[in-house]
Amino acid sequence: MEKVVVEVNSLVKEYGSLKAVNDVSFEVYEGEVFAFLGPNGAGKTTTVEILEGIRPLTGGSANVFGYDVSKREDVKEIKRRIGVLPQEFNALDKLSVKENIDLIGGMYEKKLEALEVIKLLDLEDKTNDRFENLSGGLKQRVGVAAALVNDPQLVFLDEPTTGLDPKARREVWAVIENLKRLGKTVFLTTHYMEEAQILADRIAIINKGKIAVIGSPQELISQHGGLKVLIIRKGGKKLAETLQDKYGGTTLNHNRDVLVKVDDVKEMWQALSTLTEMKMDKEIEIQTPSIEDVFLKIVGRTITEEGELK
Amino acid sequence: MNRSIIIFKAVTKNWMRSRSGLFFSIMFPVLLLLVFGAIFSGQGGASATGLFVQNLDRDANEVATSLSTSFIEALNSTKFFDVKDVPVDADAKLYARDALGPLGGNIRILIIGQDFQDNLVNGTFKVRVGISYTTLNTTYYQFFKWNLNETQQQAFEQGLQDLQLYNESLLGGQASLTLMLDASDQSAPTIKNVVLSVANAFNYQMIGAENVIDFNEESVTSTQFSAVDFYIPGIIAAFIMTNGIIGLTANTTEFKRRGIIKRLSITPLTKMDWIVGNVLSQTLLNLMLTAIIIVIGWIVFNVQVIPDIFAVILIFLGSVMFSGIGMLLSGLVKDVEAASAIGNAIAFPMMFLSGTYFPMDFMPSYLQSFAKVLPLTYFSEGLRSAMILKYSEGIFSNMAIVIALAIGFIVLGSLVTRWKEK
Repeated sequence: MEKVVVEVNSLVKEYGSLKAVNDVSFEVYEGEVFAFLGPNGAGKTTTVEILEGIRPLTGGSANVFGYDVSKREDVKEIKRRIGVLPQEFNALDKLSVKENIDLIGGMYEKKLEALEVIKLLDLEDKTNDRFENLSGGLKQRVGVAAALVNDPQLVFLDEPTTGLDPKARREVWAVIENLKRLGKTVFLTTHYMEEAQILADRIAIINKGKIAVIGSPQELISQHGGLKVLIIRKGGKKLAETLQDKYGGTTLNHNRDVLVKVDDVKEMWQALSTLTEMKMDKEIEIQTPSIEDVFLKIVGRTITEEGELK
Repeated sequence: MNRSIIIFKAVTKNWMRSRSGLFFSIMFPVLLLLVFGAIFSGQGGASATGLFVQNLDRDANEVATSLSTSFIEALNSTKFFDVKDVPVDADAKLYARDALGPLGGNIRILIIGQDFQDNLVNGTFKVRVGISYTTLNTTYYQFFKWNLNETQQQAFEQGLQDLQLYNESLLGGQASLTLMLDASDQSAPTIKNVVLSVANAFNYQMIGAENVIDFNEESVTSTQFSAVDFYIPGIIAAFIMTNGIIGLTANTTEFKRRGIIKRLSITPLTKMDWIVGNVLSQTLLNLMLTAIIIVIGWIVFNVQVIPDIFAVILIFLGSVMFSGIGMLLSGLVKDVEAASAIGNAIAFPMMFLSGTYFPMDFMPSYLQSFAKVLPLTYFSEGLRSAMILKYSEGIFSNMAIVIALAIGFIVLGSLVTRWKEK
């Protein structure tokens, strides 16, 4: 049986009449990458900050390593055992990378050497560079390094790639994959669908303070992602009509591509055999549904680059 | 405590590497010391006060009379004035204005009236006769009338009567001096007093009076301090205040805005560790400021002031007090710009109303009452007592108030410092 690291039951966080987190329940297992996927204002950071012990809850319960986040003495223990990359991480501008990591490391009794985490994050050539002179991606890496300096069992990464360019984003993804290899449990929040799909073992889609669905990417896609689509490039109207008559679920797009929704491999072969029968030699592509499709189906909208619902 | 030391080291290092922080915390006070020192030490030759004098007292040959000339020489001998002659036929105001030019400063004119010498001589003679009559009359009736026979008494009394009649027949007269000053001229009261002092001295000289009061000047301190010495505790106190209220407030608000405080709050660091670390950093900064100010004062102005253990304790207490105010402000204000504006709005009036740069006696009584509720007043008075006056009652009474305020503000500051989100 998988060991539960985070256990949340009916968690509620209210600000006056606004329920930022509304009856949320989930578990995070040891060694997994668990992603909270949702738009801005969905309640991701609020939930994470409750788990980190820096924001009080209004209702329900939350335990991290079995310690209750609403108990002062338990919070001290939680803080010792977790590593955190907060949203929009910043450090002291005039201090170097090493000095900043030493500063965070100095807060813990048990800690790794700053140079060790610097090496782990591949920041060796930036060791003595001032934080203010680093690029956005490097700053995030310093943030991750600071989150690892106390050798935590659980690492919270709150929107670790927001505002980064694609190259820097991929660098951070590599870091997260490395954390997983090191056996760390990672609690990731993000509004990037692709990020959640690539990195997470399990994803919880959260919207308006409620978890809409939770599961592994494959589970979510198979349950909510809809059918695969066989795309026949430049298939034309005649092929589209033939396939529609035979199997249904066929459309023609403005590029004259024929799109056939297929439920399984058998249906796919049937469509392809029709193509052979009609002696048509066309370029073929199979489009599988993604977490974006899942999100669209569950929430009814998608998320912009900036994290807003569209 | 170990975590406080780590915060102290990091915050101090971060500040030491910030050029603007370094400028406003250390360089700016040093520049101010140099400016104040240059003004009040007399170095570089302080210029005398310009005074236009129009002497209308002329003899038949249109030559200035000897007494009016002597009066002008007496003014010159004070070395307070740089006397400039105004031609007798000129409009004194227009002449002075043209002579000064557009950036010439305040117009100050003294007009010596016509018949200054005649009135002075006549007036002086009448005063002297009057004094003689009064002296003889008082002495006669109080002391020796009864030693004279009747004939002698009649003769003396006749003489007294003749002297009184003669005095009444004298013309007398009052020499006229007109001082014209700009109401906005801050030196006006001083100029008026110096001219009056010279006129009085002239008066006494004319009537032959002698000094019967022996006037001596002595310092209240055992060491001979200069004016710059007296400004040093004020400058130190004022900038310890601004380092806390403006510097720490802006820094802490910036750390808060950038999420640095939140990041630290997720570690085992406690709020008290954070506050103690910042107070220690402020204390070090303020001790460095004090040392630099005194060393520069010593090198440039040869100041005598040396801080003793009480001054060091006061600097620590002041750092705690103003750090508390800084923490309080940064806890109450969200954005950096507003924190900076509020810090300035509090710090600058306090700087000028607490007797740091000029004595509170100069201020109206209602402002003096207001100054008594300002923390800087007690801090700067305490420092002055410790560094200059060596006045133990002044040190301990002000220190007691600073301790109370330091405890109060640091408690309030820690209460509003948020270590947990809402």
